[in-house]
Amino acid sequence: MIPELGYFSLTLAMVLSVLLCIFPLWGAHTGNLRLMRAAPSLAVGQFVFVLVSFAALIYASLTDDFTVAYVAYHSSSTLPWYYKITSTWGGHEGAILLWLVMQAGWTAVVALRSNSLPWILRARVLGVLGFLGVGFMLYTLWMSNPFELLLPYFPVEGRDLNPLLQDPGMIIHPPLLYMGYVGLSVSFAFAIAALLTGKLDNTWAKWSRPWTMTAWGFLTLGITIGSWWAYSELGWGGWWFWDPVENASLMPWLVATALLHSLSVTEKRGVFKSWTVLLAIAAFSLSLLGTFIVRSGIIVSVHAFATDPDRGLFILAFLAIVVGGALTLYAFRVSQVRSEGRYKLVSREVALWLNNIFLVVATFIVLLGTLLPMVHKEMGLGSISIGEPFFNKMFAIILVPFAILMGIGPLLRWKQNKWSFLQNKLLIAALMSIVITAAWLYSSYAVVAPLTLLATTLAVWIVMTTAADLYIKATVQTNFSQGLKRLGLSYWAMVLGHVGIAFVIAGVTLTSAYSVERDVSMKPGEIVQLNQYQYRFEGVNTIRGANYSGHAGEVSVLKNDKLVTVLHAEKRRYDIGMQFMTEAAIDAGFTRDLYLALGEQLNNGGWSLRIYHKPFVRWMWIGGVLISLAGFMILGDKRYRTSKKNTDKSQEKLV
Amino acid sequence: MNRKLLALIPLLAFVLVCVFLFQGLFSNPREIQTGRLGQPMPAFDLPDLMQDSKRWQDSQLKGDVYLLNVWGTWCPTCLAELDYLTQLREQGVKIIGLYYVQSYDADFDGEFDMPALREEVTSMLSRAGDPYQFNILDLHRTLSLDLGVSGAPETFLVDSKGTILLHHTGDINPRVWRAKFAPLMQELQP
Amino acid sequence: MKYFLIALMILASGIAMAEQDRYQFDNNEQAQRFTELTKELRCPKCQNQNIADSDAVVAKDLREKVLALVKEGKSKDDVIEYMIDRYGYFVHYDPPVTPATLVLWVLPILIVVFGFGFIIFRQRKAAVKQTWSEQDEALLAKLIAKNERQEQI
Repeated sequence: MIPELGYFSLTLAMVLSVLLCIFPLWGAHTGNLRLMRAAPSLAVGQFVFVLVSFAALIYASLTDDFTVAYVAYHSSSTLPWYYKITSTWGGHEGAILLWLVMQAGWTAVVALRSNSLPWILRARVLGVLGFLGVGFMLYTLWMSNPFELLLPYFPVEGRDLNPLLQDPGMIIHPPLLYMGYVGLSVSFAFAIAALLTGKLDNTWAKWSRPWTMTAWGFLTLGITIGSWWAYSELGWGGWWFWDPVENASLMPWLVATALLHSLSVTEKRGVFKSWTVLLAIAAFSLSLLGTFIVRSGIIVSVHAFATDPDRGLFILAFLAIVVGGALTLYAFRVSQVRSEGRYKLVSREVALWLNNIFLVVATFIVLLGTLLPMVHKEMGLGSISIGEPFFNKMFAIILVPFAILMGIGPLLRWKQNKWSFLQNKLLIAALMSIVITAAWLYSSYAVVAPLTLLATTLAVWIVMTTAADLYIKATVQTNFSQGLKRLGLSYWAMVLGHVGIAFVIAGVTLTSAYSVERDVSMKPGEIVQLNQYQYRFEGVNTIRGANYSGHAGEVSVLKNDKLVTVLHAEKRRYDIGMQFMTEAAIDAGFTRDLYLALGEQLNNGGWSLRIYHKPFVRWMWIGGVLISLAGFMILGDKRYRTSKKNTDKSQEKLV
Repeated sequence: MNRKLLALIPLLAFVLVCVFLFQGLFSNPREIQTGRLGQPMPAFDLPDLMQDSKRWQDSQLKGDVYLLNVWGTWCPTCLAELDYLTQLREQGVKIIGLYYVQSYDADFDGEFDMPALREEVTSMLSRAGDPYQFNILDLHRTLSLDLGVSGAPETFLVDSKGTILLHHTGDINPRVWRAKFAPLMQELQP
Repeated sequence: MKYFLIALMILASGIAMAEQDRYQFDNNEQAQRFTELTKELRCPKCQNQNIADSDAVVAKDLREKVLALVKEGKSKDDVIEYMIDRYGYFVHYDPPVTPATLVLWVLPILIVVFGFGFIIFRQRKAAVKQTWSEQDEALLAKLIAKNERQEQI
């Protein structure tokens, strides 16, 4: 009964989204206000029905309703209740339903919070979102129905959730990532609406900016949590592998980052208009492309998702219609746009343009690296692999000018600057960065490679210049502490974002340079040394969890004969799938992680263990969280709040 | 002029990407080819699977066009293709087996249980069909590594001079045979 | 950065080899070469993993082979070539430079060139129309200082 209700509710939501697509777009085309006014209620109604449908799937999972194929394949009665809930997005059909919840949710929020917009724009934004909703709902109902029933013969026990996904990281990673992906559809909808209206002015950029920032914040957090999840769950201490699925999330992030910088130029200065629109289209297109890559099985990835060529074909067709349509519209409309702003070579406009260039280059590196192996093979040239060595080299190269620019950019004013004015400040900042970094690294490590020094210096440079800029901006009219309070939230967002990037650069550099590992076999009582820590193997206990059994290895970690921590690394075997899983033990710290993974028992009675010492690994996730906070901060900025007062006025300004 | 053309570039690039994505949907990204194509069979000296005394060297295989089929009793797909391979043998195709021992690790497992393996092989081949002229035992997977084998089943087509012409990963069925092997076989044995 | 910096992994820490270690090497340089290689070589059977992280049979075989070759004193390029001879370019995560893969490096460079070129081209065009004097500059600086706070991003 409940599953049928879920399916029915989804069908109703689809009907509403068809209406949401047709009414406001037709209304905007013909100038019919009544049709346009239907949009917000349709959007909210659609969201309610999708939510009911999602609740039905959660209910089916919580009550172990194995007549539902999805529940039977992705859950089991022994699964803890919280994983029963998260299992609703642990498989393909459920994940797409979660995507729909996000899509409908964003649409509803846009409908409710856009009442200061002119009706014609508001209607078009919602209409475009409605169109996207139709596509995804059609896909769900037609190709990936989460409520399919296994009747009359249904299993008494489910196949259990993939053990890899039974982890707190997995509870939040996909929803955050989807919030980001789907959130970019709002920027996309604003761009298309602006193109349809033919008015690519700075008001468009102003409206689009808070939505883009928020979506980008979610995307950043999603990627960060994903990296942390891989690190803690996959058992070999890796945090980024340049896997196609990871790349699929990185590409929209890079373009969205370029987009929000470009939006600020378009908003403040009215230049780069057509470029900004293109970025808005590209950001969401890459989200869709990522979905296609992940769900079609077109590219070999370490992350196993259920794949199916029919589904791939549908997503590809949808991709072609949405992106192809958007780019066609773009090609026709954008040639009429002229930008009027003037600026000199040393100006913030140019700095932000260069920022965009580097981010686009980074995107192309990832895009080519992800797709070229497939193209190479299709052209009959054989299989090639593109992975870590390639991407690391390329990113290391563009990091240098990008990070230097990141230090200079914020110090520049719009329109034009005297270079001589900045020269001294920058020189001092550069010298200080080098001295601080050198002092830090040479005092901590015996060997410092030139490239380690360079990359770390760049991280410090970003912090130094950001601090300098903060000081200058705060002391323009008043003293420092007074001035700090007067700085706007969006300025603080920039500070946070840039410092976050510095943390990521420093974390990635230092953990790559100074991580060490040992692959050892140990008997109880034996000690091995890794850096300044001694690891004493205490032995192995058998363990028993709700849906698994296994072994836990206990290792005492000592430093100068004093106990630092006791690590419990587990090797689990899940009852239903008989899958082995490594649960690494991690002693997390601000400056280093101690990481232990238990291997198998050896013939001589010993156990194989992998011990890692990872300095500063946590910094990249701290950085990621800081960056995402920058994205959420804009929600508090008054300039972007829609106030009730404006509502009445906006009713009048129809066109 | 060029503003209009410039604005078309993203669309054209996207269409190109879509064409490749569409093609990619219908091919298997996991199928990879050995680096040995067009090169002679690597040198080896390995025992026969069924007789301890008999040994095989690369030079002995020259002179005939043959298929080298990598297989093991542990591999369900290998079992599935035995029937069709046996039919091919009946049509006169020479098939040599390269037995891929999956689980044996000399450091861990001690003495290898040869009689047990032979019994398994005999029973499986008598049930499902025996396409092989003879089987070469690759206990330490050295020849497999030299051939760029990553698992089983895999099949190589070797010509009479001992040159490797084709490498197929996965099972051989009538469709694969017609598409990949038959045209080359026709050229080699008109 | 990993690629460049991995070289230090073992050198910097000065780990003493002990009998418990799974892989025994004659010197640190070999140990470091082995670590690099197992991270750059791709397991041909797996979804998308290097041979260091994979437990597949073929990954173990390749690991053992890399170990043996490194201990024979083979250089990094020798080992990679040895593997490519057998498993094709697929086995190495760094793509070969061929006419078909050239786009990987050429396109990023082209974007940078066009990006920089565009902005300079625009400046030239704008400069023709614009006149700007020292007095204007002074006035602008004054105005900007006054309104500095409002123009933050």
